[in-house]
Amino acid sequence: MLDQSKKDKITSDLLGSIRLNYSFMIWMAFLVTSFSICIYAYITQLQNGLAVTGLGDYVSWGIYIANFVFFVATSLIGMLISAVLGLSGAKWAAPLARIAEIIALAFAAVAGLVIVSDMGRPERLIYVFIHARIQSPILWDVTVVTMYVLISALLLYLPLIPDLKICHDKLVKIPNYLRNFYKILSLNWNGSLEQEKIILQSTRILAILIVPVALAIHTVTSWLFASTTRVGWDSTIFGPYFVTGAFVSGCAAVIIAMFFYRNNYKLKDYITEKHFDKMGKLLVLVSLVYLYFNLNEFMVPGYKMKKGDAVHIHDLFAGSHALLFWSVQIFGLVIPILLLLFKKMRKPLPMLVIALFVLFGAWFKRYIIVVPTMEHPFLPIQNVPLNFRIYTPTLTESLITLAPIILVLIIITILSKLFPIIPVQETIDHLEESN
Amino acid sequence: MISTNKIYTTIVIAVFTVLLSFQSYSQNWDIPANKSSKNSYIPFNNETAKAGEAIYTKNCQSCHGNPGKANSLKTLKPVPPDLSEKQTQSRTDGDLFYIITTGRVVMPSFKIVLSEEERWKVIAFIRSYNKSYVQVLSKTDPSKSKLVKIVLDFNAKNNKIRVYAKANEASGVVLLKDAEIMLFANRYFGKLQIDKTLTTNSEGYADFNFPKDLPGDKTGNIDIVVNVNDELYGEIEHQEKLNIGIPTDKPALNEQRAIWNTLLKAPIWIIVTYTSLILLVTLVLLYILNTLRKLKKIGDK
Ligand code: HEC
Repeated sequence: MLDQSKKDKITSDLLGSIRLNYSFMIWMAFLVTSFSICIYAYITQLQNGLAVTGLGDYVSWGIYIANFVFFVATSLIGMLISAVLGLSGAKWAAPLARIAEIIALAFAAVAGLVIVSDMGRPERLIYVFIHARIQSPILWDVTVVTMYVLISALLLYLPLIPDLKICHDKLVKIPNYLRNFYKILSLNWNGSLEQEKIILQSTRILAILIVPVALAIHTVTSWLFASTTRVGWDSTIFGPYFVTGAFVSGCAAVIIAMFFYRNNYKLKDYITEKHFDKMGKLLVLVSLVYLYFNLNEFMVPGYKMKKGDAVHIHDLFAGSHALLFWSVQIFGLVIPILLLLFKKMRKPLPMLVIALFVLFGAWFKRYIIVVPTMEHPFLPIQNVPLNFRIYTPTLTESLITLAPIILVLIIITILSKLFPIIPVQETIDHLEESN
Repeated sequence: MISTNKIYTTIVIAVFTVLLSFQSYSQNWDIPANKSSKNSYIPFNNETAKAGEAIYTKNCQSCHGNPGKANSLKTLKPVPPDLSEKQTQSRTDGDLFYIITTGRVVMPSFKIVLSEEERWKVIAFIRSYNKSYVQVLSKTDPSKSKLVKIVLDFNAKNNKIRVYAKANEASGVVLLKDAEIMLFANRYFGKLQIDKTLTTNSEGYADFNFPKDLPGDKTGNIDIVVNVNDELYGEIEHQEKLNIGIPTDKPALNEQRAIWNTLLKAPIWIIVTYTSLILLVTLVLLYILNTLRKLKKIGDK
């Protein structure tokens, strides 16, 4: 049995972050200010329509859609860590499950807003549902993303219930309404075996359910592209290509979050170097799989060089998108894989830097997937100004793209201020088991 | 050192290339004198120029650009001229009419696409960019075309359509001789010309060979369009439905369930898969919510 003092230390360590401090307020003020600037940009778009963007007749999907794909991709990590690793009994990942789930929930929930930002007339969103066609991947996408948000929310909430009770009991100094909030959410938790069994079972069911749903959200997102005949999108491996790419960006996001929580929330004893080591290895694994899919995705059409593909591939390999294409592949994928093979590189700080490269690479990779294809339609582009052929995002558009990213940070910040980022009850239970 | 021989050869090739390209893109259209002197029976004024502008925007602008803006499609060879320039404006109305009617290589023929009246209106628009232009009106009286009656006679034995063109003048019936006649069948995307362009004989008719296998509607009806062009009576169009096609009853593409159809006509397998998956997930979620309700009840005790 664990002695009480040890339990108390764990509890107070893990609940330590739930308080208002200056750094939190400054960070939030920064986020909210930047967010308002972006909202201003969005208001100009509402007034003038998509004319404020660089989008046009040919490139009608630009950084908004690239951003959307990135969001859906990053949200997949919740499934990988809390479901796949959880179900396969990888105990080391347990402390990271909540971080992953918060990231998943935030990205998935905001992904829908990203799509709305791509609409010049958002008040017509309702038509997507009124005139829905269930043959359309767009409707499937709306459906599965909604499901994924719901399941992710439950998967975050269920394991949190015991901790909510602890929050209510231990955090005596916080305002009463907050304590009541914890109390209501903790659903009269008393820690009885019966209740534990319910949580365990339900979490298990959700963890199983979320695997196909998560695969579905990113596969369907890939079908938005692959169900057309356009060069660069007309690919049979787009589903797995997207899913594996998703794990790469998700892992990077979790590593970055781990680094900040570990330092700012003083959790060095709970998010240890061992966790970074394991996450580093996981990142290498998923990156290698993704690299393999990249090889297939570009090697096969590049070998055949069918007429339409050839224009596109030349543009990526040696043309106007070459710099971005190779930077993304080399700095966002190849070099991170090579570096992470070394144990020295799987330490917190080097991993943070590598993960940032991977995450930025992942964003620009989505740009590479979306934009160049749109610049290469099958019918010749005639008699149009240069800015119709070559897409350059405007400042307004970039700000509007930034908005959901900031919103995700706000959601993550608030969630990790309200709830212990490392499961308290679970950590105690694990220690008890191993003793 | 490069040998002078090589330089010489290069120069010769270059000169020939330039000459050859000039030759094939010459501005000379070789227009027959009687066509060149043809005039419009439509007066060129603001109203007709405006009607012509709409036709121009739809049919010509993509290549020729806006007159006076020098924004024609430069990737074509030869580059389509800006029609407000002297090169074009110095041509006669008959020349322009001939060029637009017949076309040449890249410049399409608008004989079938635009009616004579429409072609003159485009010219009215082109002329509106020439301040010094003074129109010479044709003597043709457009109202005379109303007197013309077209009669179609299908001969099932040899599958020929005989087209008679007669004018009911006050003095009696006049046969239209030497009038140009074109026959079309209306298809889904425009008119299909049947046989060649013919001219009426001394008895005022022309015989068109009609194909044996042209699909018609359910009962075999085909919409036939006849265009007659006569020196004196002008342009006459006549439409008639003839039961001379192969009856065809193909279901419309949107009649059956298909991926591209409306929601109500979605393929069964998609409806079943989609709804059962939604149902499954919803049931699981409801089950989970129910266990949470139970969990709370246990705590209440
Ligand atoms: C597919 C592109 C294209 C379209 C559409 C087109 N043209 Fe042309 N047009 C040309 C080209 C090319 C030439 C030069 C042809 C040559 O010299 O052999 C030309 C030449 C002409 C000329 C002769 C100009 C000159 O003075 O040499 C006239 C008049 C003309 N077009 C009128 C029209 C009108 C009126 C229309 C629309 C009803 C039209 N064109 C539509 C490509 C086009």
